[in-house]
Amino acid sequence: MSAGSMKQSRPGMFATMWSVMRKELLDISRDRRTLALALLLGPLLYPVLMIGMGSLAESRARTQLDRTLEVPTVGMERAPNLVAFLATQGIRAVKAPDDVDAAIVRQEFDVALRISPGYANDWRNGKPALVEIVADTTRRDSEIPSARVRAALEGYGGQVGALRLLARGIDPSVVRAVSVGSRDLATEEAKRGLMLAAIMPYLLILMSFIGGAYLIMDATAGERERQSLEPLLATPASRGAIVSGKIAAACAMGLLSLLLTLVAFKLSAQMSTGVGRMLDVSFASIGRMLLILLPMVFIGTTLLTCLAAASKSLKEAQSHMTWLMLLPMIPTIALIVNPVKTQAWQFMVPFLAQNQMLLKVIRGEGIDMQTWGIYLGTGFAVAALLWFVAVRRYHQERLAISG
Amino acid sequence: MIVAQDLHKSFKTPTGTVRAVEGVRFTARDGEITGLLGPNGAGKTTTLRMLYTLMKPDAGQVLVDGVDATRDPASVRGALGVLPDARGVYKRLTARENIAYFGELHGMSKQAIEARTRVLADALQMHDILDRRTEGFSQGQRTKTAIARALVHDPRNVILDEPTNGLDVMTTRAMRGFLQQLRAEGRCVIFSSHIMQEVAALCDRIVIIAKGQVVAAGTADELREQTGEANLEDAFVKAIGSEEGLHA
Repeated sequence: MSAGSMKQSRPGMFATMWSVMRKELLDISRDRRTLALALLLGPLLYPVLMIGMGSLAESRARTQLDRTLEVPTVGMERAPNLVAFLATQGIRAVKAPDDVDAAIVRQEFDVALRISPGYANDWRNGKPALVEIVADTTRRDSEIPSARVRAALEGYGGQVGALRLLARGIDPSVVRAVSVGSRDLATEEAKRGLMLAAIMPYLLILMSFIGGAYLIMDATAGERERQSLEPLLATPASRGAIVSGKIAAACAMGLLSLLLTLVAFKLSAQMSTGVGRMLDVSFASIGRMLLILLPMVFIGTTLLTCLAAASKSLKEAQSHMTWLMLLPMIPTIALIVNPVKTQAWQFMVPFLAQNQMLLKVIRGEGIDMQTWGIYLGTGFAVAALLWFVAVRRYHQERLAISG
Repeated sequence: MIVAQDLHKSFKTPTGTVRAVEGVRFTARDGEITGLLGPNGAGKTTTLRMLYTLMKPDAGQVLVDGVDATRDPASVRGALGVLPDARGVYKRLTARENIAYFGELHGMSKQAIEARTRVLADALQMHDILDRRTEGFSQGQRTKTAIARALVHDPRNVILDEPTNGLDVMTTRAMRGFLQQLRAEGRCVIFSSHIMQEVAALCDRIVIIAKGQVVAAGTADELREQTGEANLEDAFVKAIGSEEGLHA
C-alpha cells in the first residue's frame, strides 16, 4: 500500500448524512428486541385500548343499568311503602351495616340510603320527610347507581305529592309552573367515546413524539458512552451532517412506528363496536393525521437530540423520558379543566395544536388552508430551531470527550 | 508532516483550571516514527487531540502537510488517520462494516473501500475476523479493527494514541511490525506511549512530555547526549525528573 496514492474528494453534506443515517438504521436493526419494542408497542397498544376500553365501558353501563341494585338502607322499617316502591324500580333495599358512611368509604357499596328517624312523623303530618342518599361522587362507579336511586326517589316523591294534591281537590299540574324536559343530542356511543376521544390524540402525539427516542438516544448519548464518537469526529465528516444523519435515522424510525400505529388504529376502529365505528378512519383522514403528526416526529427527535447531546450518559438521557412523556398530556388536561373555543393561536402551540388538529380530523370536521398553513409553518419552524440547537451542541468541544 | 507549534490547552473544572498542555512543540517528519513519551497525565492525549482537531488549542498552531488545523480542520482530518485513546468500534456492526462506514465518511467509493479493506486485512492479519460482529472481540481484535478503520482512506499522516495498550506480547510484536511498515511507506507516524522500552525500540525521534511541556526531544543518541546519560532509560528518568512510567 502506498501512502496517499488515493486522493478522494471530500464527501458532500448529503452524502455524509445518508451514510450516517444508513449506518444508524443498520445498527438498530441488529438489535432485534429493541427494534420490535420500538416499532410494535404503538400498533399493539391501540387495538387493545380501542376494543378493550370500548367493550369495558359498554358492559359496565349495561350491567349497572339493568341489574337489580341492592342498596343498604338505614331505617328500612320506617318506610315500608317507599321500600316497596323502590322494589318496583329494580332497587332492592337491604339491611344496612352499623356504620354506613365507613362502608361507603371502604367501597363496600356504591350507594346507600338513610331514612331519618322522624320520617314516619313528618310523613303523617304532611311535611317533607328526609331521605338521604349516601355516596362518594368522586368515584365513577357510584355515578349510575346514585342517579338511579335519585330518579326513583324523585318519582316516588312526585307521585305521592300528586296524590296528596288530588286528595285536597287540586290539580297537581298547578304546582308545575315550568315543565322541564331535556333532549340530549349526544348518542350513547358518543358519550362513551368521550373518554376515548380524550385519550387518543394524546397517545398518537406521544407515539410520534418519542417514536425515534431509543434510536436517537443510543446514537448520541449512547455513542458517547461507548466512546465511538471521538473516532467519528476525527473523520472529515462535518458535525452538522453527522447529527443531521442521526436525526434523519430517528425520524425514519419514528415515522415507520407512527405509520404502523395509524394502520392499527384504522383496523381496530373498523373492528371495534360502537365508539370505534363513529371515528373517521378513511384513508384520507389517516393521511391527514400523518401530516399532522409529521412535525411532532421532528420536534420530538430534535428535542431529544438536544437533551441527549447534553447528557453525560445514556442513563441521564433516559431520565428525561419521564417528563417528556407527560408533556403531550398537558394540553389534554388543560382542555378538560378549562375548555376553550378554537382560536388561531392554538394551532401554533406544540402539543395543543396537534391535539386540536387531531380532534378535528377524528370528528370529521374540515380544516381550512389557513389553519393548515399556520399549523405546519409553526410546527416545522419549532423543529428547525431545535435542529439548529442540536447542531450547535455537536460543535461543542467537550461533547466528544467521553468519560 | 505534522508540526506542533507552542501548543497550549487548559480546562475548567469545578475545582479550578487545569493546565493540561503548556507549550508543546515538535515536528514529525514523513518516513519517520515520532514517539510521544511521558508518564500518565503528562498531556499526551490532549496534545494528540489538538493535532487531530478534536480540540482547539488556546494558543499555538498545528500544521498538517502545511495546512493550518484551525483554519481548515476538515482537510486536516482528511489527511490524518487517527486511532484515539477511545477505540469505540460499533459492536453491532462487523469489522468490515466498521471500516466501510469510515471509508464512506471519507468520501471513498465502494470499490476503493473494498480494495483498501483487503490490503489492511493483509497487513493486520485480520481476515478471519472481518465478517464477525465486533461484540465479543478481544482487545487486540478491537484495536486492529479500529486501526484498519482509521487508515481506510490511506492517509499520509497517522496518529496512534497508545496503540499497544492492553495487547498481549504477540499482538504487540505484530503491531510494531505494522508501524514499521507504515514508516517504510513514507508516512508520518506519531504514536504516544508511556512505556519507555517500546518507544526506544520503534521511534526515530522521541519527544518526552512531562507536566504539559516538552522536556527533551531528539533521536535516542541526541537524548543520551542532552542528558549526559549513557543509558536511554536513565536519560528518560533525568528528563522527566522521576521514575514514573518506566515499568508500566
